Amino acid sequence: MSLVGPLLLATFLFCVGIYGVIARRNAVLVLMSVELMLNAVNINLVAFQNLLFPAEAAVSGHLFALFIIAVAAAEVGVGLAIVLNLFRTRATVNVDDVDLMRW
Amino acid sequence: MDWMLDYAWLVPALPLLSAALIAAFGKLMPGKGSELGVLSLAVAFLLSVGIAWETFTAPAPMEPVEHAFEWSPLGGGFVIELGMLVDGLTAMMFLLVTLVSLMVHIYSREYMQGEPRFTFFFAMLSLFTFSMLLLVIANNTLQAIIGWELVGLCSFLLIGFYWEKKPNQDAANKAFLVTKFGDVGLIVGVIVLSVPMFGASGSPFNILELNQAAADGAIGQGTIVLGMLMIFLACVSKSGQMPLHVWLPDAMAGPTPVSALIHAATMVTAGIFLLARLYPVMAQSLLVMSVVAVVGVITLFFAGLVALVQDDLKKVLAYSTVSQLGYMMAALGVGGYTAGIFHLFTHGFFKALLFLGAGSLIHAVHSNNMSDMGAMRKAMPHTFWTFIVGSIALAGFPLTAGFFSKDEVLVAGQYWPYATGGLVFWVGLAAAFVTAFYMARVCFLVFWGESRSHHPPHESGRQMVAPLVVLAILSIASGYIGSPVWDDDNNFGTWTATPVLAEADYPFVADDELGTGLQGGGEVLAGGAQGQAGSASVLAVEGEEGEGLGAGSILHGPPSWHLDVLLMALAVFLAAVALAWRIYGRGKPEEDPTLNMGPLTTVLVNKYGFDDFGYRYIVVPVRDHAARWASWSSNVVLDGIVAGAGKLTRDAAMTTYRVLDQKVIDGGVNGAAFSAAWWSERLKRVQSGDVQRYAAVLVAGVIVLVVVFAAAR
Repeated sequence: MSLVGPLLLATFLFCVGIYGVIARRNAVLVLMSVELMLNAVNINLVAFQNLLFPAEAAVSGHLFALFIIAVAAAEVGVGLAIVLNLFRTRATVNVDDVDLMRW
Repeated sequence: MDWMLDYAWLVPALPLLSAALIAAFGKLMPGKGSELGVLSLAVAFLLSVGIAWETFTAPAPMEPVEHAFEWSPLGGGFVIELGMLVDGLTAMMFLLVTLVSLMVHIYSREYMQGEPRFTFFFAMLSLFTFSMLLLVIANNTLQAIIGWELVGLCSFLLIGFYWEKKPNQDAANKAFLVTKFGDVGLIVGVIVLSVPMFGASGSPFNILELNQAAADGAIGQGTIVLGMLMIFLACVSKSGQMPLHVWLPDAMAGPTPVSALIHAATMVTAGIFLLARLYPVMAQSLLVMSVVAVVGVITLFFAGLVALVQDDLKKVLAYSTVSQLGYMMAALGVGGYTAGIFHLFTHGFFKALLFLGAGSLIHAVHSNNMSDMGAMRKAMPHTFWTFIVGSIALAGFPLTAGFFSKDEVLVAGQYWPYATGGLVFWVGLAAAFVTAFYMARVCFLVFWGESRSHHPPHESGRQMVAPLVVLAILSIASGYIGSPVWDDDNNFGTWTATPVLAEADYPFVADDELGTGLQGGGEVLAGGAQGQAGSASVLAVEGEEGEGLGAGSILHGPPSWHLDVLLMALAVFLAAVALAWRIYGRGKPEEDPTLNMGPLTTVLVNKYGFDDFGYRYIVVPVRDHAARWASWSSNVVLDGIVAGAGKLTRDAAMTTYRVLDQKVIDGGVNGAAFSAAWWSERLKRVQSGDVQRYAAVLVAGVIVLVVVFAAAR
């Protein structure tokens, strides 16, 4: 199996994620875009492990992917909690309106 | 015993140490510091005896011992030294200075008893001695200047010792200023002589190298004439030659022991010593020699005449010193190197003796004037006998020290082939008559006749008499080491000879010219056949007897009997004493014929008008015009320059403050702050708080990096 298919998929997902992170105004959608980017990386890790280092004992790519999934879950948990609090205090989830950390 | 020569620096160091100790702790000691002075001088004297013995017995001419600290002020090229030079001349001066100074120290313990500033006096005596010894031991001319100036300073302090009285202050100022006038010449002369040495030698002020270079003819005539005449000017002022002798009689204002020290050992001999030290340089020029001889002759005769009319005992002795210094100068000027310093040596002893004896007399009658003395021989027998010994030695009575040395001077004049030689001989002989006459006058007026004292005189104590006795013995004995009765191989001449002198000769003397002078002298003295027989070997160079009759060699040979001169000296002495006895035998000063000679007496009493002339044409113009001008130039010109410099500096400082400090430095500091604020105002907008913009910038950055690295690949 060729590497090209998974890599093209991952690149596509990553670009979609970046677009979402930069362009979307809704905080929930930004978080989702981040998830897309993380999963694009996961696809890369798994594809490289399987196609370049196919030995049965070699699982570090898989392990990293599992880590990322776990961390992403935690991150989404924290992120959604922040968004929830944002909505409670400001009644908005538009990231353009949240610029307290400016000069 | 060789080590003694290497430790010769101790001789000047000890009086310096004692001067410092006396000044610091003198008042705490039982003898108020005087015992420290006596102790240090006694040790220095013993050392000097060792050094003298070592140099005296060394095969002549002795190789000088020289040690020096060197300092190279420019880090290379040439050095300036602080050092010691020990040869026979140094050793001779050491012996004379330390012995006379020791005697004066002991004597002063009693003489100065109860004086205010007793301790100061002894500190100064020791410092004075140190100064002279520093000059004597100097191995270079700069160090000699230091010693020379210190001698002048100490003499100033001691002449003005009783400074509560105005005349004493004036005398001290006069001595200081007159000798200082000559010191200018010394500095100029030293610089002039050092100029050719800068290229030729690593240490341009070294005396031995200077002497050697001069003897080798490496120094130009012009340099030698200018340099030596300048140095001679210093010697004229320091050694009391006319016309700069005027300070010397006034220096009698000091305490009598100081007069003894000044006149015998530490001050006036400095000029003679310096000329003797630089004799090989001086001997290169007939002009310099002739000037020295003529000044010496004028001094020795005219100063002697002034002594005839003085009533002040110390002034007689002072003019007598001037006259005897004239003999020494004259001897140096007519090729009598040995004769000149031999006379210096013997004169030191009997003049110290005469001054100390005079001090003893003055102590007894509380007056300097001979008209207040008379018949003192009964009251003061010890002073009387020692004073008589000193007087006959000074008058040149045969077989005393003064006889041997003064005859050496006359004989030196006889051998000199130029006109100055005859001048020295005949004027010297005439002055010997004057000398004998005024000393006889002093002795008759003081010791014979009837007592005119207002106090009952009494003999001085042991501490004053003992030095008199020691010096009286030496006034006889010191003449013999330079006399024909002594060994030919080790005598005064070989002692004080230096290798340079032994090899040098007079460049201006043609072959056999000295011989002519010798025969001329012989014709003049046709009566004395033995004198000529002895004189055949007089020109023998040291160590080369028989064959060394070289033309123009500087050192005369071993001393010989000059029966003609002896007879003439004896005749002159007897005639003078007989004449004096006839006039003064009854000791009545009011009938003194020297005071009744009309205009001649007036001239002599006025001392030829030197003092009046000096007062009217030097002191008054200097005080009234030059001083005003100097004051104006000081107040207006110098102060103007100083004030102008101050104002200029202040203005420069203000300008610096305004421009550099206020504008440049403060501007820089403030500008840094302002630019920081200006930039921060603009750069802070990057921190927008917009997360998505951050992310966009980050992505853009990554893309740029990827492109850059891809391109670099």
